[in-house]
Amino acid sequence: MKHITAAVTAVIIAVLASISYAESVTDKRGLTLEGAKKVIAATVAEAKRVNAPGGSIAVVDDGGNLLALERLDQTFAASANISIGKARTAALFKKPTKLFEDVIKGGRTPMIALGGDLQNFTPLQGGIPIEWEGKIVGAVGVSGAASAQQDEELAIIGAKSLDNMEMAGMTNWHAPLPVTYIESQKVVASFTKGAVLVGEDENMMHAALNYMVHASHRDKPGVVEVHELDTDIVYVLKGSAQLITGGTPVGTKTIAPHEFRAPTVNGGETRSLVPGDVVIIPNGVPHWFKEVEAPFDYYVVKVR
Amino acid sequence: MTTKLPLCLTMGMALLATVAQAQLIEKTALTLEGAKKIAAVAEAKARAEGARVVIAVVDEGGSLLFLERLDDTQVASVNVGIDKARTAAIYRRPSRVFEDQVKNGRVSALALHGAVALQGGVPIIVGGKVIGAIGVSGETPGQDEGIAIAGATVAASFTKP
Repeated sequence: MKHITAAVTAVIIAVLASISYAESVTDKRGLTLEGAKKVIAATVAEAKRVNAPGGSIAVVDDGGNLLALERLDQTFAASANISIGKARTAALFKKPTKLFEDVIKGGRTPMIALGGDLQNFTPLQGGIPIEWEGKIVGAVGVSGAASAQQDEELAIIGAKSLDNMEMAGMTNWHAPLPVTYIESQKVVASFTKGAVLVGEDENMMHAALNYMVHASHRDKPGVVEVHELDTDIVYVLKGSAQLITGGTPVGTKTIAPHEFRAPTVNGGETRSLVPGDVVIIPNGVPHWFKEVEAPFDYYVVKVR
Repeated sequence: MTTKLPLCLTMGMALLATVAQAQLIEKTALTLEGAKKIAAVAEAKARAEGARVVIAVVDEGGSLLFLERLDDTQVASVNVGIDKARTAAIYRRPSRVFEDQVKNGRVSALALHGAVALQGGVPIIVGGKVIGAIGVSGETPGQDEGIAIAGATVAASFTKP
């Protein structure tokens, strides 16, 4: 009988567990020591950049409990505990601590008494919550810099640094952009007159913002071009041309921001381009398709 | 006369400097860099043992210089770790001394101001002087202290050559 009861109980627990998991508990992200150290490193780097006279930097988890702390040399000793208090206050209220300083300054003096129940309640500017995917996972508190204002500025830089953290070993991680696919028919059609394949205008209004792709076509010579920002990577597909690079453009006009054109150039190097050739023209280098045997088709990647 | 006045001033300042020397004392102070070196060795030992601990390093005055809580360490250890370090720093001896005193019947050691009678705080000594302390909390008292000692030992390398 005892065994049966135990078995029944086990079954009930198992069933309840599967039913109530979703409603009784929830998954959440917690800040690791590794993450806390990165926040501190970013804050310290900023403190050095702006020549802050010192600083204690504390990082707490979402429960307001200290994960890591560093007090820079020559920083007054009391700042250590104040930075913990700022971080703890920001984490437990999920708000920048400046808010409390402002509210109290604005006349709501009784709020100071919160300190009685909340260990280390510190309503002083310089505590900033740390967010990850829209959730508060902790906070950073800074004390001992040049001013309360600078304390906060440093804390903001530190809190933001979490967004830049490496994901699974990736550096320069960012939200992935959509993959671009252009059908061969459209590409061929673009070459018949020449067209921009990717990047709609001179300002590169493409999601990536740092490259454009042109399906270029020429029936006659062009003018001297200088791109202040863009490097052209050219692959010749059809026809041939004389390309002059370098030299000094004569009669230069600005046709768009960072874009210059001229009717001719003094000096420069001449090359004959044929299908299969690749040319890379760095930004700022004048270039001119002086003679063209039409149709001259070439694929260009413009890198900014 | 005009040449004598600067001479008098120089002599006066030299005299003041000697006096000032008697009024001040040269001290060795722990830097953040030093604190990090100590904590790094303690952390390495903790990781090797699979210990989940808080490692706190305080200066000579018992104020926190550096702290790290290894992942999955009980949060209560934060304050216990700081307390142990402060005890070792301001009383200039391992915090174990007070735990032993209490165990051996000197219960009044619990009343010592600013001290916790808990094993795991170890002074950082350079040139025979206590310049700070390391406190470890999270595992058993013996293991905590072992990790703290590993860290504090690094200070031997801080002595001027």
